[in-house]
Formats: sequence, structure tokens, C-alpha cells
Amino acid sequence: MRLGLDDDELTSCVACGLCLPHCPTFVITGRDTESPRGRIALMRAVQNEGAPITAEVLRSMETCVQCLGCETACPSGVPFGHLMETTRAALAAEGRITPWWQRLGLRLLRHRRLLLAGSTLLALAGRLGLVPARRLGLPARLPLRRGRHRASGSDVWLFTGCVMDAWQRHTHLAVQRVLEATGVGVAPTAGAAPCCGALHAHAGLATDAGAIARQVIAALSVDGRPVLVDSAGCGAAMKHYGRLLGTAEAREFSARVLDVHEWLADRLDALLANRPAAPLALTVAVQDPCHLRHSQRSHEAVPTVLGPFVRELVSLDDDGLCCGAGGAYSMLEPELATAIRSRKTAAVERSGASVVASANPGCSLHLAAAGLDVRHPLELVAQALDSDGDS
Amino acid sequence: MATLLGAAARRLGRGADRAAPTADPDAALAADLRAAIGSERVRADAAARYLVSRDASIYSEGTAGPLCLPTSTEQVAACVRIAADHGRAVVPRGAGTGLAGGAAPLGRPVVLSLTRMNELLSVDLDNGVAWVQPGMVNLELSRRLAPYGMHYAPDPSSQQACTIGGNVATNSGGPHCLAYGVTSAHVVSLEVVLSDASVVTLGDLTAEPAGYDLRGAFVGSEGMCGITTAAAVRLTPDPAAVRTLLIAYDDVSSCAATVGAIIADGIVPAAIEMLDQRCVGAIEDFARAGYPRDAAAVLLVEVDGPPGGVAVAADRVAEIAAANGAVSVRAAADDDERARLWKGRKSAFGAVANILPDYYLHDTVVPRSRLVEVLEQVYEIADRYDLTALNVFHAGDGNLHPILAFDARVPGTMERVHAAGREIIEASLAVGGALSGEHGIGVEKRDYMERMFSDADLDQQSRLRAAFDPHCRLNPGKVLPSAHSCADIGSLRAADGKIWG
Ligand SMILES: Cc1cc2nc3c(=O)[nH]c(=O)nc-3n(C[C@H](O)[C@H](O)[C@H](O)COP(=O)(O)OP(=O)(O)OC[C@H]3O[C@@H](n4cnc5c(N)ncnc54)[C@H](O)[C@@H]3O)c2cc1C
Ligand code: SF4
Ligand code: SF4
Repeated sequence: MRLGLDDDELTSCVACGLCLPHCPTFVITGRDTESPRGRIALMRAVQNEGAPITAEVLRSMETCVQCLGCETACPSGVPFGHLMETTRAALAAEGRITPWWQRLGLRLLRHRRLLLAGSTLLALAGRLGLVPARRLGLPARLPLRRGRHRASGSDVWLFTGCVMDAWQRHTHLAVQRVLEATGVGVAPTAGAAPCCGALHAHAGLATDAGAIARQVIAALSVDGRPVLVDSAGCGAAMKHYGRLLGTAEAREFSARVLDVHEWLADRLDALLANRPAAPLALTVAVQDPCHLRHSQRSHEAVPTVLGPFVRELVSLDDDGLCCGAGGAYSMLEPELATAIRSRKTAAVERSGASVVASANPGCSLHLAAAGLDVRHPLELVAQALDSDGDS
Repeated sequence: MATLLGAAARRLGRGADRAAPTADPDAALAADLRAAIGSERVRADAAARYLVSRDASIYSEGTAGPLCLPTSTEQVAACVRIAADHGRAVVPRGAGTGLAGGAAPLGRPVVLSLTRMNELLSVDLDNGVAWVQPGMVNLELSRRLAPYGMHYAPDPSSQQACTIGGNVATNSGGPHCLAYGVTSAHVVSLEVVLSDASVVTLGDLTAEPAGYDLRGAFVGSEGMCGITTAAAVRLTPDPAAVRTLLIAYDDVSSCAATVGAIIADGIVPAAIEMLDQRCVGAIEDFARAGYPRDAAAVLLVEVDGPPGGVAVAADRVAEIAAANGAVSVRAAADDDERARLWKGRKSAFGAVANILPDYYLHDTVVPRSRLVEVLEQVYEIADRYDLTALNVFHAGDGNLHPILAFDARVPGTMERVHAAGREIIEASLAVGGALSGEHGIGVEKRDYMERMFSDADLDQQSRLRAAFDPHCRLNPGKVLPSAHSCADIGSLRAADGKIWG
């Protein structure tokens, strides 16, 4: 079967294996079928050698978290993320992956009202004990009420997204609070751009992802203001609109997208002018979301921004290995996701931190479900700004 | 619920291509293996077998039988026994980073992947050793020893991925082996499963074990004498001080001359690595490590030890370099810079792919005094065959790693690559060099063995192997040319080259 993969991209892998220890699924299973090198070799076998797409080939592709740990580690510059997205698009187009119920769920993300109402309903059902939240990989307590979005100006957009806005609006409000402390007016995107399309692209629904990208670009291109994103996954997707759509307009848009920490790291003086007398009395471990570390490669901005506001920042000794959240991955592959996560929780334990700072909503939900106290880095900063040193 | 639905949908909606209904020659074997070690540890499907049919070399003719991922010595022994019952060979496999086709399965053998046996079993500070399982990744071991102020010294460039089991089997070297010695100097004792499924311990913790040094014979045996299931490795204390110098040259021969001069001066640096200009370019494209792109060649020299001695040695190296025509000498300012330089060096082979998609790496050793001469020949040979040659190597011990970069998709390329490779090896042997410094012989270099060794030598090696594995059931078809390993032919006969049904 033609997977539509670029031959140069495919042959750029020299099979050296240096990516293996950076792949969460290989580290857990020890199997080549669950490794980057193996996945690339299978893509090649299917596309060039006429190998059939067996159940095991499908599993190999489905078990990939798309964390891109392999891409950062690869000295040969293999664009793994693009290879995997293209492969999934070909498999989804043939109906081999992403069954109807997943597609239905993903379509819902674009319908903001429905999504918010559905989330509230789920929260209610949860309170009544009707939802086995743990088993479904849902947060233990979904919010029944959400604070209201309010624009304070038009200097920057704050992209609010879909599920994150329904479940973690308090994070957006805290981020806005921090941005405003540097003296800018913030416009939350709310209904204007209901979803970034990252999960659609991951699931191989390229057409949907493209349509969403065009919608977002049209809605947020009234002027050239920066588009700030507080979800690493959304930011990574939006920075790739240029590649996804291949138009000059999309590339220009992607160039305006910044992770909030990146933007703040450049305005640290303005932010520090508001610094409280004492930092929060917390030891905080920074978890690098893969979409910040490997895709955007801007994870170093997080400690820069957060550092001055907490007593101690500690780093994890696991070489930035993925936590297993991977967008919808933790729900679709619960067994592997949990095994991957236990390595992360062990690293947190070794670090001696009491709080984990994560700049991605998916990671933070996934890690919180294991009992960790997880906050968005800017929630901590907001807390510090509003307090006088106690936590 | 989502998962239940998922499973149901998987079953209903989207059946996978079914493999053609041919009789599976592995069915009975796989069933026995599953019964013995648990079905979750055995894979007999095409995808799994396809992926363990090769390693990191360009050799691609292997065909794997069932794949086992044992988690204990007993399970390894059970797999060996069952394979023998079914008349199949066994091929052990670590991370598959080997560059000689050593882990490529010939004759549809059972492949034993040791990746899941990756525990640090014990750290014995009194005796200065640690017991580890074979699937322990080399760099991970050093990370785990760091809290004790110790590390595992042999550091192959693939150390972030390769396993101790693979290191023992190939007697791996690395940049820091110049001062510290290669793998065999760091392996004290081994637990090994032999071809009759018995478990033995080779060597012990005493300095001079009584009797023959079977441990020494085993290290470097490329999976043909037994399967390592645990290794006692030496702990090396972290040096008190380290200085790393990056020295640039306008010409390759001044660079090589410096290497000789440093050693002649009586200094034994921890590492001396030499990189040519093309290699530096490839590395900089990937790692931005800070190597000077405009230099014709660079040396990366590291000295370590007590702080006072290190400072003196570093100054002396700088002096010698200057006297031998270096255009610049720079010391890494801090650990970060040092780590970046090493990361660059260790990603060199992979980074070559930024120039051309395929590479063939040679691994010969030449007397240090003949380095320049052989290097010049390497470039000349590559030019003649219209190939791109890059050089990055352990200059301190004369271990050359000429890389031929090419695009295998261009018809006729492989023939040129092999012809050039042959000439490079001949050139190295002609000056009194050796066939392999550290990557092993495997299948890739097997047929060159006759150029290096006499018939009597090879027969002798074959007898040593037979003493461990009389029926040639472990990794048959490797290292020894077929004329000197008749028994292997039986094990290879079962071959059915098909993987995808
Ligand atoms: C980018 C790159 C750089 C490299 N740099 C170096 C270098 O600097 N120095 C160097 O020496 N090598 C180097 N190598 C080669 C390779 O990494 C080493 O040979 C390494 O020791 C192989 O380890 P592995 O775990 O990948 O073994 P594999 O490739 O899986 O196997 C290698 C051999 O060991 C046998 N084997 C594996 N495990 C066992 C076991 N438990 N018991 C018995 N036999 C076993 C296999 O049968 C095979 O013959 C490099 C390779 C690459 C890709
Ligand atoms: S993806 Fe990169 S690191 Fe991994 S095997 Fe291929 S070339 Fe090596
Ligand atoms: S994206 Fe992540 S899970 Fe997928 S192959 Fe790469 S490292 Fe492994």
C-alpha cells in the first residue's frame, strides 16, 4: 500500500538505534515493533516492499505516543513526526485506524457550546457517582462552573482551545493574570477559534486538521498580534500550520505563534517588577511536555520564567522521557500510558519535589490522575504574584 | 468504556490484512516457547521477525524465526533448550546497534532479545564491581553508578543505546578506552548460558583466577560461545578533574603527527579523537557543538586525573600541538561545553546521513606511525570509486573508522561501496593493521578473515568455538568463513527466507 511517504524522509533513517532509549514505548516493552527505528522500517516495508498491513503493523503505529523524543535524539535528522502523521493519515483514509467513535469524539471538539455543555453534564454525572472517571482516564473532578473570559485589550491573543477551556479554564485565567502583569492587554480567543486540530492530525484526520487550521488562521488574523498559547500541544500544532497547509499565509501565521513562556522569557524584567517579597515556599519539579521539549524546542523558557517565583526548582533525572499522556493516547492505550507514567512518577519522587509544574494540559491531567500535585507553571506564578510568599 | 468500545470496534470494523494461509514452519516451535516462558514474551508475527532480521549495519539478508524476550536466566536456558529440540539455532541480540551484522539471524533461528533483562543487580564497592543484566544500556549503567562517584569506563559512541551484553560480545571500545582499556579489561566475571542450556560462571572476582581465562576467551565471541545473562563489570572512579581540548589544523598530517608526539612524550590522555573536515561539517549541522568548520582536521583530546597533574598534562598537550602546527587550541570552559563536544563526536556516524542517506563504516586498526599514509589512501580510493569518505576515529590507538557515504538507491552503488571497502581493508592490512578495532567481524567482515589469518589460525579459532558450542547452534555463520566452520552449515539449512507470508 502507498503510504504517501516522502522517499528522502524515509531513507534518512540509517537504523543506528540511537533513538531507542528516548522512545517511551521501547523503554517499556524492549521490542523493536514499539521503537522509532522499527516503526520507520515497517513504514518502509509497507511502502517499498509491498508488506501487508498486518494487525501487528497497525499496533506498531497505534502504540506510538507521537512524543517526538526520537526526533530530538536522531543525529540523522529523520523527521519522524511528519512520517508518522502521514502514515496515520493514509491508514485513517483507508479506515484502518481511528474508528467511527473516535472520529465522532474528535468532531465534537470543534463545537464549543456542545463541548462545554457536554463537559458540564459529565461533571454532574461524576458528582453523582455515575462516571468511573479513573478507568476512563478522566480527571477525578471536572469543573461544574467556569470563570468567565474577558478581554483586557488587544495586544496579544491568548489561545484557549477546546478541552482545556472546558476542564482547566482556571489555568487560562491565571495565565491571563500573569500576562497582564507585564502591562499588556489580553484577548482570549474563546469562541473565535474553538480548537487547534492537534488531536485530529495525530489521529490521521488530515482533512479535519486542515479545515481547523484554516478556521483558526482566519479568526486570528485581524492584525499581526502575537498568538500566545499556554498548552504545549496546541502551540506545537499551530506552529506547524505552515507545514500542514503549505501556504504563505499559514507560514506567516505560524511565525506569530509563541508559547506563553517563550514570550514571557523575553519580558522577564517587566514580570519581575511585580515580584513579591518572597517566592512561594515550594520545591517544584519542572516536567517538560514533549510538545515543548521536542516539537517546539522551547522548554527552557519555563524554568526561566518560573524560577524567580518559587523557592526551589528541581529538574527530573529521566532525560525528558515522555510521561505517556500524548493527547488522547492515555485514553486509547491506557496500559502502555500507565506503564510509561510510572517512570515519570518515580523520577518525581526521586527529585523530592512536592509540586510538579507542567505546561501542557494533557500531561497535567495524566500525571494528576496518578496522585501528583500538578499545576501549570503560570498558575504558580499567578499565585506568587497574588500572595506574599506563602503557598 | 472507551477501551471496551475500542476493542469492540477493533474487532468489528477494521480487520487487518490476513497473512496468506501457508503452513507456518515456526508454529510448533513458537508454541513450545510460549508454553515455557509465557506467550507475552514470544512473538512469531512477521512484523516482529522482520525488525530483528538486521542490526545497524547494511547487511540485510537475515531471516529471523520466533523472537523471544526472556526476563530471567532460566528463561534464556529454556529457549536455548527448546530451539535445540527443534533443530534451530539461537541468535542473541542486544540493542541491534552492531555494525557488522553480528545480530543478523541466519537460517531462521530463534532470536533472543535481551532488552528486558536490564536490571542493575548489585553494586559491590568493596570489590569495585557491579553485577548487571545483559540488556542494561551502557550509558544508563554509568548514570546509575553516578551516585557512588563511579562510572563504567568503556564508552562506545553508541553508548546511549547499546547494551552491556552486546559490548561484551563485541569487546567494544570507545574514545576513553585509550587510557582505560576496552571491554575485556572491565569485565571480571560472566554468567553464561551455553548451547546445551547449562548455566556456568566464567571468571571470578579474584585478580588471578586459577586455570584458563575462559572469561577472556568469551569476551568478543560475538554470541557464538554462549549467551551472557549477567556480567560483573569493574567500577571506575570518576576522575577528580577533566580537561578537554579542541585543537584545529590546516592539514591532516600535522594533526596525525601531533597524536604520535603526544604519546611519544609519555602522556596517556583519556582520549584522543580525530575528525576530518567533512565530519565536522556533518556534526555541526546536527549538534552545533562548536567545532571549527574551516579546519582541515581537529583533535579532541581529554586528560583526566588529579587536578594538578591534569593542568600540567593539558598545558603540555597544548605545547606539543602548537609545535606540530596546530592553528588553534581551545579548552572547554565548563561541563556544558565539554558535554556538547562529546555529544557532537558521538553523533558523528548518524550525522553523516545529513550528507547522504547511507553509510558503510569500516573499522580497521593501523600502526599509529602509518596513520597519515593510510588516511591519504582512503581518500584516494573513495575518490576513485566516486564515493564520499569521512574520517572520525580513535586516533590514540590507531583505530580508523573510515565512513563511506552514499545513496544506495543509485543503481550500481553497492558494488562500488564493496569494492572500495575491500581496497581500504587491503590498504590497512598492507601496513600491518588489523581487520576490526572494535565493531567485530559478524557477517560483514567474515570473508576477509582469510586475508588476515592462516588456515591453521582459523581452524584453531573454530576449535575454540567448538569447545563452547560443539554443535554450532549459537549464532552460526558468523566470524569464521564457511570453510572453517562446517558444522554451521547444518544449522543454516533450515533457512526459509520469507518473512511476510
Ligand atoms: C552510531 C554507532 C556508533 C558506534 N560506535 C562504536 C564504538 O565507538 N565502539 C564500538 O566498539 N562499537 C561501536 N558501535 C557498534 C556497536 O554499538 C557495538 O558493537 C555494541 O557493542 C553493540 O551492542 P548491542 O547491544 O547493540 O548489540 P547487538 O548489535 O544487538 O549485537 C552485537 C553482537 O553481540 C551479540 N550479543 C548481544 N547480546 C548478547 C548477549 N547477551 N550474549 C551473547 N551475545 C550477545 C549479538 O549476537 C551480536 O553478535 C557503534 C554503532 C553505532 C550504530
Ligand atoms: S530514527 Fe534516527 S536515531 Fe533512530 S535509528 Fe533512524 S537514524 Fe538512527
Ligand atoms: S514519537 Fe515517541 S513513541 Fe513514537 S516512536 Fe518516537 S519516541 Fe517512540
